[in-house]
Amino acid sequence: MTQDVEMKEQSAPSNPVSSAAPSTFQQLKEIVSLIEMGAYSREGRRIVRAIRSTIQLRRKFKASVLSAFLNFVLLPGSEAHSRLSSYLPKEDEHDMEVDTASSTTQVPVKHSLPELEIYCYVLVLIFLIDQKRYSEAKACSSAGIARVKNLNRRTVDVIAARLYFYYSLSYELTGDLAEIRGNLLALHRIATLRHDELGQETLLNLLLRNYLHYNLYDQAEKLRSKAPRFEAHSNQQFCRYLFYLGKIRTIQLEYTDAKESLLQAARKAPVSALGFRVQCNKWAVIVRLLLGEIPERTVFMQKGMEKALRPYFELTNAVRIGDLKLFKTVAERFANTFSADRTNNLIVRLRHNVIRTGLRNISISYSQISLVDVAKKLKLDSANPVADAESIVAKAIRDGAIDATLDHANGCMISKETGDIYSTNEPQIAFNSRIAFCLNMHNEAVRALRFPPNSHKEKESAEKRRERQQQEQELAKHIAEEDDDEF
Amino acid sequence: MDPKFTEVSQVFQLFKAAFVRKDFDTCMKLLSQLKVTLTEFKSLPPLFEETPNAIQERTLARDIYEHAVFLSVKIEDQDALERDFFQLKPYYTDTHGLQPSTQEHPILGLNLLRLLVQNRIAEFHTELELLPSSALENPCIKHAIELEQSFMEGAYNRVLGARQTVPHEIYVHFMDLLAKTVRDEIAGCSEKAYDSLSINDARQMLLFSSDQDLVKYIEEEHPEWEIRKGFVFFQRAKESAPCKEIPSLQLINQTLSYARELERIV
Repeated sequence: MTQDVEMKEQSAPSNPVSSAAPSTFQQLKEIVSLIEMGAYSREGRRIVRAIRSTIQLRRKFKASVLSAFLNFVLLPGSEAHSRLSSYLPKEDEHDMEVDTASSTTQVPVKHSLPELEIYCYVLVLIFLIDQKRYSEAKACSSAGIARVKNLNRRTVDVIAARLYFYYSLSYELTGDLAEIRGNLLALHRIATLRHDELGQETLLNLLLRNYLHYNLYDQAEKLRSKAPRFEAHSNQQFCRYLFYLGKIRTIQLEYTDAKESLLQAARKAPVSALGFRVQCNKWAVIVRLLLGEIPERTVFMQKGMEKALRPYFELTNAVRIGDLKLFKTVAERFANTFSADRTNNLIVRLRHNVIRTGLRNISISYSQISLVDVAKKLKLDSANPVADAESIVAKAIRDGAIDATLDHANGCMISKETGDIYSTNEPQIAFNSRIAFCLNMHNEAVRALRFPPNSHKEKESAEKRRERQQQEQELAKHIAEEDDDEF
Repeated sequence: MDPKFTEVSQVFQLFKAAFVRKDFDTCMKLLSQLKVTLTEFKSLPPLFEETPNAIQERTLARDIYEHAVFLSVKIEDQDALERDFFQLKPYYTDTHGLQPSTQEHPILGLNLLRLLVQNRIAEFHTELELLPSSALENPCIKHAIELEQSFMEGAYNRVLGARQTVPHEIYVHFMDLLAKTVRDEIAGCSEKAYDSLSINDARQMLLFSSDQDLVKYIEEEHPEWEIRKGFVFFQRAKESAPCKEIPSLQLINQTLSYARELERIV
């Protein structure tokens, strides 16, 4: 029956005047057939594709289309249908598109798959969130979650993961994230029991986001360390996980791990996720500054991110020069941006890096310099700058930031000569890290290769074999000809 | 009024009197008694039920724990301090209708200081993240933050100078502990930074009042330093000429892993 309806609609807009894009309703029906196929053959991948095409349609959702779709898919008397239709406003009849009118005259086949029910919940949720009706979205999502808890099918998991995400989003937009924490934890438990790995991943990320929203880094770390880890199923979830991990590590002062996670998240993120990449880059810049390395200019000049990263660019400048006064002015000027990004506390930690960089510059440029001059150059604003400078230099020497000795009697700092770096192990270590990275990337790529599942079972039909043999002959002739030419 | 509640308040009055008298043994006994009676109240965390006297019970319980924190500072028991502070924390985070306590910020600052003295800097920063930005303006907390900054930068004389500007008298005990940590740090830094120091300078830097204290300290903590002709030598001469040994094991491991990975490339 569904094929008949689709055929009719395909003939209707065949006149060249009508727009080439098929109607939203038709696309939704194609998605429904995809989901059905996936559910019957138990292949999650078709459902993933269905979800992806839904997201592309997101902008074109209208209340009329959705209510027609609901009528098509769900039994009109069923509980789900009545609940969901109540969220859609009744619009005028003439808004409906022509082909939907033609389809409702037919008796549509009622599909009673639970996947479709949950899919409808997700559709309505997306629509409500886009229309900014957040409190209704909250109610709708809670109903959806209650329904999902009773279902136990793997094919529902993909759609359910989306539902969880929008559930958390609707609560976050109304500022009530703390309420759902218990719920999310229970859902995570259920997902682990059912070996629903995509659900586990999504829920773990949502929980981490919940904790980090309220600055509860301690609890987030405890959850993250105890939750079961496995190969990432979804690239987007993996990126999010890396970003949250990087944030936690930064606050815990483990900058090397944080830098790795944040840079990987920024690299793996899809190009269209601009906001996410901007955030990753902001945190990555700060972590690199805290580690003592200066990020290069190209990082700030990436397409679309220049304006957002401008405060961080100026901050990097101040740290690079090693000028405390400039650093203070920049921090005060952009204080609003920093507190909106919640990086304020990290910027405060940077002060000590500014001093270190200034010291390093001085130590490289002077072979011997009096401590009074050091204090003046560093512009330390304190009561007793010379004594401060002396102890700061001593600590820097102990931490290995500069290579020098102090002479207390004469009150000066004597820099040591920098040795020949190529005679040490440094180049070997740098090479090794690069080689390891490339090899790792190669291994991951091989592991990510996917072959179509039934290709080795397909018997080659006689025709195909003839074709293939013909191609091989042609190729052999071609190579032979080439060889002849060369002689 | 609830009879249990009146009983608890009376015992608490006794406790406060003993505290003022500095009779710490009686305080400890009364405190354990109080803690046991407090478990019978249902309106306290973690249950947070709404009984009719809820607000008063919670205020009273919070007062008791605050005094417990002060007591553990006076008897210099850091574990007890940590335990009491953790019991106190839910009262600050989930207020459930309580008036903000006057002692809240000094106690938060005290906790930060404790973490700093025990060198648990990561936890220091996680705690700092939990504070709202308005709390950061409070003098007690600002004091702790500035201390941590000076400590990280290495401006140790600023750290010691801050001892004079303590915002609350309860902090004095921690400043003494901090002085000890600072002294160890200065000794470590001086070892690497100076070739030698005169006895006078060393004594000043390490904050000893007399030469004998200095000599005793060196003998106990740093026996490798030498005292000759009125100078302290930090034994750096032996370090020059490091033998250039090749880290062979590491190189072998690396090369083997390259070979293995290259073989895998089809």
